[in-house]
Amino acid sequence: MSVIEIENVSFTYHGDKRALDNVSLSIEKGEWVSILGHNGSGKSTLSKLIVGLLKPQSGTIRVDGITLSASTVRDIRKRVGIVFQNPDNQFVGVTVRDDIAFGLENLQIERPEMIERIEHYAKKVDMYPYLNKEPHALSGGQKQRVAIAGILAMKTDVIIFDEATAMLDPEGRERVMEFMRTLNREGTTIITITHEMKEAVMSDRIVVLKDGKVLKADKSENILKDKETLERSNLELLLPLEIMHYMNENGIDNPSLKEFLWQLSLNG
Amino acid sequence: MKNIVIGRYVPGNSFLYSMDPRTKLIALIVLMVAAFLIQSFAHMLVALLLVTSLLIFGKISVKRVYLGLRPLMFLLFFTFIFQILFNQEGDEIFVLPLHYTALSIFAAVAVAVFWFATKKRVRFKLLYFLITVVAIFAVFHFIDFGFLFARGTFRVFEEGLSTAFFIMVRLIIIIMLSTILTITTKPTDLNLGLERVLKPLGIVRINTEEIAMIISIALRYIPTLLDEANKIMLAQASRGVDFQEGKLKDKVVQIISLLVPMFIISFQRSDDLANAMEARSFVPGQPRTRLHVLTWKRLDTVAMVVSFLALTFVIVSRVVL
Amino acid sequence: MAIKFERVGYEYQDIDGKGYLALADITLNINKTGEFITLIGETGSGKSTLAQHMNALLTPTEGRVHIFGVKISREGKKDKNLKLNPIRQKVGLVFQFPEYQLFEETVGNDIAFGPKNFGVSEKEAEERAKKMINIVGLDESYLSRSPFNLSGGEKKRVSIAGILAMEPDILVLDEPTSGLDPLGRNALLKVFYEIHQKLDKTVVIITHDMNTVYEYAKRVLVMREGNLVYDGAPTQLFSRKNVKNWNLDVPDILKVRRAIEEKLGITIEGETRNKADLMAKIGEALR
Repeated sequence: MSVIEIENVSFTYHGDKRALDNVSLSIEKGEWVSILGHNGSGKSTLSKLIVGLLKPQSGTIRVDGITLSASTVRDIRKRVGIVFQNPDNQFVGVTVRDDIAFGLENLQIERPEMIERIEHYAKKVDMYPYLNKEPHALSGGQKQRVAIAGILAMKTDVIIFDEATAMLDPEGRERVMEFMRTLNREGTTIITITHEMKEAVMSDRIVVLKDGKVLKADKSENILKDKETLERSNLELLLPLEIMHYMNENGIDNPSLKEFLWQLSLNG
Repeated sequence: MKNIVIGRYVPGNSFLYSMDPRTKLIALIVLMVAAFLIQSFAHMLVALLLVTSLLIFGKISVKRVYLGLRPLMFLLFFTFIFQILFNQEGDEIFVLPLHYTALSIFAAVAVAVFWFATKKRVRFKLLYFLITVVAIFAVFHFIDFGFLFARGTFRVFEEGLSTAFFIMVRLIIIIMLSTILTITTKPTDLNLGLERVLKPLGIVRINTEEIAMIISIALRYIPTLLDEANKIMLAQASRGVDFQEGKLKDKVVQIISLLVPMFIISFQRSDDLANAMEARSFVPGQPRTRLHVLTWKRLDTVAMVVSFLALTFVIVSRVVL
Repeated sequence: MAIKFERVGYEYQDIDGKGYLALADITLNINKTGEFITLIGETGSGKSTLAQHMNALLTPTEGRVHIFGVKISREGKKDKNLKLNPIRQKVGLVFQFPEYQLFEETVGNDIAFGPKNFGVSEKEAEERAKKMINIVGLDESYLSRSPFNLSGGEKKRVSIAGILAMEPDILVLDEPTSGLDPLGRNALLKVFYEIHQKLDKTVVIITHDMNTVYEYAKRVLVMREGNLVYDGAPTQLFSRKNVKNWNLDVPDILKVRRAIEEKLGITIEGETRNKADLMAKIGEALR
């Protein structure tokens, strides 16, 4: 069953060129979909449209069968959570504890349950010892993990990571990607929006955007090996796959090496 | 820059720290009103004694309170002087003839210039200032030779002196009370207390929860903003902006090069933050459950009763006496 | 020797008043020309602190830094005649986030701001802006636009152009490619490399990306907990021992090369500093 359906959606920021042009895609429950694209391809607009922070000029968005509209937007926000790019600009609370509580307070969760969820999810993202810390004492990666805990505590069905690792150092990035893997294993529907190939590798399906349009959407294996599509969207092939491509171009036949290279690309 | 502590909260352990912030806020107001209503000097001294014992039993370092008073020393001093100079009620208790001669004026100016030039090097600035003032008076009194321009008299009256002390002590009491509040209450708790106490304002359509949230977000971002201001200055310094030097014209450019990025970053931040908050189901005006609750304890009831009793006592003594 | 660090240490006070040693006993020489250096290390290792000593934004608490003959030290700081501002023109430092820097009404004015602060005439500064906007890969139409309406990548390039326009002798860049997509990243790195090659300028790049280090760097400085633990060629840096001891990320080229060598049981000759090289050698080995 499709948990998110985007049908012929177009969006333009006031007077500018089209950020998204007639985009359609659907996401199944439990899937991990990566939305790849160059800077300015429209990928970051997508997450805001899905939770109704922006309204498309045309097209429909459905989450869990519910059509997105002014009256349903609240229900949709209970089903889809977003971790945004800037760790500092989504941290509301004065302390870690307060920030994780924020969403729960909005959902009017009763205090005993709130306390339980805060502790549980803080532990899950390895931030339990930091519950009383203030954000300026935390690294970017730690703040992002707090954001993740906040979304998890709201128990949404879908989590969107909107370039959530773009501003992090390699260690922070690695830890957030680890959580994405864990959540995916546990059955959470995940959407990652990124231009990092190493994040896209782990997903089931990849949608490549270019200049607001869907360039190609397919199983990740097919996209990862598709040099032409990737380069048209300013992206690169992972090195092992670039070597594979080179071998194909030069007529070098070695199936076991190619399989090895594919595995290498998956494992980073 | 990293050494700025937000508010003047100092962690500690005493009954003052255990009190509900609402109690402290209301007690502060009630006791301040009482302080303004006190008429007798004796009562004022007792009040000072009581507040001081609050400090001691509340385990607040007297040194910190003194540091809180220090910036206001000049205010206290001028209040005092104002009364002495202009309150001419009651008996004359001190008369000092003054002579404004060419020589005495010259000497007085010399003393003033000397003070101005050397004041930076002295540790006890207020004391030094007082000594200088006394010296100037002494000059005008004792140097009575040379060409005489005019004569004058410095008079101190009984009422002037007593009122001066009275007002000064009252000011000190009020400052000490508010210092007790800020030292023993975290800014976030203060915010929460204010939110609850001002809730009745909802009748005039003022939403205290929204205002409290705005304050809370502002508190959260203060350290971040300080950090960013620092980084901006470093980035601009790398482009040749010299924040230490420069004429007025340069200073304007320096300030703009700091403020514009701060504003831009803040605008972007409010946009992002609003999106993040809404995405997490925040709807302004909708009821929310709260993680932090304030618990009223017996201590709080006692404190409230005591404060109101004090106020009643003061009102009664004013009416009766 | 343009920049010379002599046993430099830097300590600052934490929020709690604790002393924190960001740099310890750094001795290092950087030449005025001909160097392409990458400065790497985990967050908190002291890279940015080190970079900020290179243009005298920070003064060491221990030891001395000599920058183009000017001595910077804790004792010297009190000297009223010490003018640090001219140093900032000679050593241009670009910060990681352009938001901290862009403030003028137009891109052109913003790029011209730096040079004008160092006495360059209005006309000359405008000329330089035109030149630099092209060098960073944007066309002249950007000069009249507001810097605030640009995308992240465009802002990044404008902030770099702003420092290039000062015509510094040494260029220090803090994570210049963060936030850029792969195409943008490669394009910008090529720009820096060209500036280095054609103008023979020394370029220092702080980065987390080991691929950048391996492909471009002539010299690598590795910071670890405030100490300079490696100062040498990139190829030796990524020995298995170093990778293990310093918990280094291995560049993709090396990772893939070593995996293939192991799988095929072969040894690839030479250094293979870029992908084309690697692929050519693999092709050879397979035929």
